[in-house]
Amino acid sequence: MNGAVTFEELKSRGEKAVRAGHLEEAQDLFDQALTWAREQGEQPQVDLGICNRAAVVIEMGRGDGEVPHLREILVRNVDPFICQLAAYNISRHYELTKNYKKSLFYARIALERAGVLGRRDWLASSHNLIGNTLLAESFIVEACREYEKALEYAPQEPTAARGQILDNLGYCRVLQGRHREGYRLLYESLRILKRCGAQRYEISVRLDLCFAHLETSRLRLSHRHGIAALALAEAMEDQASIKNALYLLGEVAHLSDDVEAARGYFGRLHRDFFPDAGYLPEFLLAVDIRKLVNLHA
Amino acid sequence: MAAEKIRQVQLVGRKIRELRKEHKLTQVELSSRLGIQQSDLSRMEKGEYRVSLDTLFRILAEFKVSIGEFFEGVAKESITPRDVQLVQSFNALSEDVQREVEEFIAFKRSKEGRHEAGPDTTRAWEADE
Repeated sequence: MNGAVTFEELKSRGEKAVRAGHLEEAQDLFDQALTWAREQGEQPQVDLGICNRAAVVIEMGRGDGEVPHLREILVRNVDPFICQLAAYNISRHYELTKNYKKSLFYARIALERAGVLGRRDWLASSHNLIGNTLLAESFIVEACREYEKALEYAPQEPTAARGQILDNLGYCRVLQGRHREGYRLLYESLRILKRCGAQRYEISVRLDLCFAHLETSRLRLSHRHGIAALALAEAMEDQASIKNALYLLGEVAHLSDDVEAARGYFGRLHRDFFPDAGYLPEFLLAVDIRKLVNLHA
Repeated sequence: MAAEKIRQVQLVGRKIRELRKEHKLTQVELSSRLGIQQSDLSRMEKGEYRVSLDTLFRILAEFKVSIGEFFEGVAKESITPRDVQLVQSFNALSEDVQREVEEFIAFKRSKEGRHEAGPDTTRAWEADE
């Protein structure tokens, strides 16, 4: 078996793991692929290996060290395939680190490169990424347009990527007060993500369903999804999602007239995440911030 | 008994604007302190911009405001470090002891003739009894 075959095999298995949302496994496979590429001295494979590995590392929130390598590839490499990957990954890193304007800049490069390649799946992911940056900055209508385009381009089969786009658009619809449509999209997303076993991505849609049910006063269902989101977020050590889950569960408890439970959730939010904000539990008991908070920001 | 709902919505942007002006800060100055764009702060003040929990609590911390300052009628006094310490100490107590403390406070207030004149930062606790 030669190096190129092994690289392709490892890459293919890594991509399959990514589609299923199994990022730790994917990172291990991409690490092996990159090692093979370096041993063979094939620069195109090395660049591809760096991009693939960076994608999963960034997704797991450990991407700080990856951006300089990706930027260097973006400047040096003229291959639109590699450039799209590099730009997309940089954009995704800036999205996760909440630098949305930089994220938008690189997402547009990724979209343009995807257009050159004519890759529908990459057009979908690029539109989704642009939508994410717009949603994070509360440009809801504009974000919806991007997510709709993303859904047009996304393969119809139930992948984690399609599930994520459905989740994003569903959340926007809830924010727009289009609850019925929002529920349809969110539950379709949940079904797909569960089928894929993509628990990391299931957290977001659970949180969005918790919020949607909260907005329509279905408190029992809201609680159920909030609890599920919290459990998953804790298992995945997803701190941002734990924060949102504690806030939403506190809101649900408060609206259910269970003030002790609400104080418990808000108290934990204060202790674990905002230790300097001693006023936080009483503030959240006194003030309804649902119209102010963006779970996707 | 459930806490009385005195919750207010959609005032946050307006209050941020008021507080910014009270503190004689321009949008550029405040947005710089908060690490956000001036255009985003402008939209936030107009109620067009939703924020993460992190950003919301960063704003509150910036103004060092009490619930009452932020939402008039809820409380009248700023929360001082001593207040925060008291609340934290209170929260560290068991539920039974918390109730004893609340009863003691109610007793002392009745002795001082300070019957409830309006809502304050302990309103939720009292309403929960």
